[in-house]
Amino acid sequence: MNTPQIAAFARLAKENTVPVRALEGQKSMISRTMHSLAYDSVHDEIVVNSPLAQAILMFRGGANGEEPPARFIQGPHTQIQGTDYDGNDKMTYDEVHGEIIIPVAGPKVLVFSRESNGDAAPIRVLAGPDTQIRGSRRGHPLVGVDPVNNLLIVGSTGGEGGGRDSDGESARGRGSLLIFDRTASGNTKPKAVIQGPNTAFGGVGQIQTYPPKGWIIAGALGGGIGAWSIHDSGDAPPRWKIPVRQITGVAPSGVALDPVHKELIIASGARNVLLTFSWPEIFE
Amino acid sequence: MCAQKTKRNSVIFAALVLMAACTLLLALVGERSNLKNPSGSPLGSPRLVSVQEVPDYGEVCAPEPPSRNASMIAALQEKNLFASFQETAVHAASPETGDTAEVTRPPVRTIKDTYPIYSSIAVDPLRDEVVLQDTNLFSIKVFNRLDNTTPNAEPAQPKRVIQGPHTLNEYNNGLYIDPQTGNIHSVAMDTADSMIVFPGGANGDVAPIRKLNTPHRNFATAVNEEKGEIYITIQYPPKVMVYRKEANGDEKPLRVLEGEHTRLYDTHGIALDVKKNLMFVGTWGNASDYRVAGTGKFYPPSINVYRLDASGDTAPLRVIQGSKTRLDWAGGMSLDPDRGDLYVANDVGDSILVFRETDDGDVAPARIINGDKTGLNHPAGISLDLKNQEFWVSNMGNSSATCYSLKADGNATPVRTIRSAPLGRTSVKFGKPQAVAYDSKREQYLVPN
Repeated sequence: MNTPQIAAFARLAKENTVPVRALEGQKSMISRTMHSLAYDSVHDEIVVNSPLAQAILMFRGGANGEEPPARFIQGPHTQIQGTDYDGNDKMTYDEVHGEIIIPVAGPKVLVFSRESNGDAAPIRVLAGPDTQIRGSRRGHPLVGVDPVNNLLIVGSTGGEGGGRDSDGESARGRGSLLIFDRTASGNTKPKAVIQGPNTAFGGVGQIQTYPPKGWIIAGALGGGIGAWSIHDSGDAPPRWKIPVRQITGVAPSGVALDPVHKELIIASGARNVLLTFSWPEIFE
Repeated sequence: MCAQKTKRNSVIFAALVLMAACTLLLALVGERSNLKNPSGSPLGSPRLVSVQEVPDYGEVCAPEPPSRNASMIAALQEKNLFASFQETAVHAASPETGDTAEVTRPPVRTIKDTYPIYSSIAVDPLRDEVVLQDTNLFSIKVFNRLDNTTPNAEPAQPKRVIQGPHTLNEYNNGLYIDPQTGNIHSVAMDTADSMIVFPGGANGDVAPIRKLNTPHRNFATAVNEEKGEIYITIQYPPKVMVYRKEANGDEKPLRVLEGEHTRLYDTHGIALDVKKNLMFVGTWGNASDYRVAGTGKFYPPSINVYRLDASGDTAPLRVIQGSKTRLDWAGGMSLDPDRGDLYVANDVGDSILVFRETDDGDVAPARIINGDKTGLNHPAGISLDLKNQEFWVSNMGNSSATCYSLKADGNATPVRTIRSAPLGRTSVKFGKPQAVAYDSKREQYLVPN
């Protein structure tokens, strides 16, 4: 965008509340097209892609202003590769095992240790035809991780990528959620595939999990957020769904969970807005 | 165990409380039995809540079919009994039934900015207008050039606003006004992948008279009126596209500047000197070849100088780069060809940098406008008015445009200000917040643009 930033808002912020801090500027090494990021509560760090520079940046949790990353992963050994349309814009983070999981062109899923710095090689690479990982037409797959039940979830929309995936009826059945063992590598088949017209996965760029209940929280076509079980397979519909666009007129693009307050946070890149929903049902 | 007896008792108690409240409400409304809640369900028909067995999902705690229980509890917790009527009944789906439980309660909180976020600016000295690109509310706002919002005044009202679904305006940035026709050119930074053109005087939800389809990630534009060519910078994969000025639809560019030797790394602002046959392009230094893994690099920001007709993989003639330059996410650029001054909106530096167009290497700006009197706050766009010897700046950080004399230097006070938000208000500066993370330690939302 015109000015990238990572802005931090108080949880109870409302309309026109300004951020409490914002990470920005040349020294921060952040760039536009940050379509995923994660907070590492164990080590108090922010992990985010630098999409145009084939890099992963790790900041202090309270980073502010023109602060450089504490570490960054970049270089020929990393295998990090973006696409023309998306750069390298997706990632997730396993704070139990301290691993950064990043899908790249290929499509591949690379796993790095959080302690990596500089031109580091990934500790695992998941790729190959048996994985069924497809990504989007011009972008990457999505990734989520359940570190308690030891599962890696890879989402493929089959759409355009870059926040431009159709989430209408034409996309129904195209998207898939692939469930792998967390440590899967090489050309490994998924343990389960959730896909079909009833599944209707797609439309959102992040996948979250809630391990105590075995939920996979991801985009549901039609501008919604769905909750699938890690035990689902085949053409399984979401067990729960918040039809965000139907309720608010705003389509979601990113999602985060706040288990303590039993809330779901939605980012909408389409309309410059953040929405918080109370969703106690999935946490209780 | 996931479902506990005490919790169920609480749920049943909560249901009874809600039923009692409904009975009281019905007594109050009397014959007004046609009163509907927002979801269309009639009031006065509370149902007993069923407690269902939890399906066996092995070691993982399965979803507890909540019926209306959870929503009632949530309503009680929010001290708003009637909130539960805004919801439809929910039942967690099971693989056997294939049903999905829909939760239709409205969001409890919303973060957004209701004021404009001005990404770009163009001054039209012939028509005495200032045009501002609002990348938050997807509008183009037109003000009188002599408008001045004093500190005690309410936010300024534009004389025209181009806004609405027919405009195709979506996260736009770079502006250019045709001096002859007054046509407004606007390039899309993100989702729209286009340049749209409106006639001078356009107002309301009007369709553009032209839409040129462009690559993804445009930023700025400049025009060579003598040759009838329009230049558009593309941030990534980085390039400068040159089209016929009247290009439309899927028309191909006349030429493209791109490639390893161009040193175009995350391309941003552009300015032209037609008399001296020069093109100035700003970069932020984020580099990679998307076709090759592991090619990412960070370079210092720069202003690259090329011949006006440069194309292909052409190296710059000169590069202004280094710590003395103070470049920090430089946005819009504009050139005073009479004096040979290159004006740069230095976004995160909260400053305007003025270089000599002959500068090369690690040079300090000839002038720097910044300080607490300037009103600059994340200046992203800049436009020169050579007729009136002024320049205008769009400030993303405080929903304003500020005007200065071309001789301004240091901590200069604006000669005029157009302010579209309450005095002193800082912008949220949202720009397509595509993702979110939760900082559980600080109880904060982390939101990238």
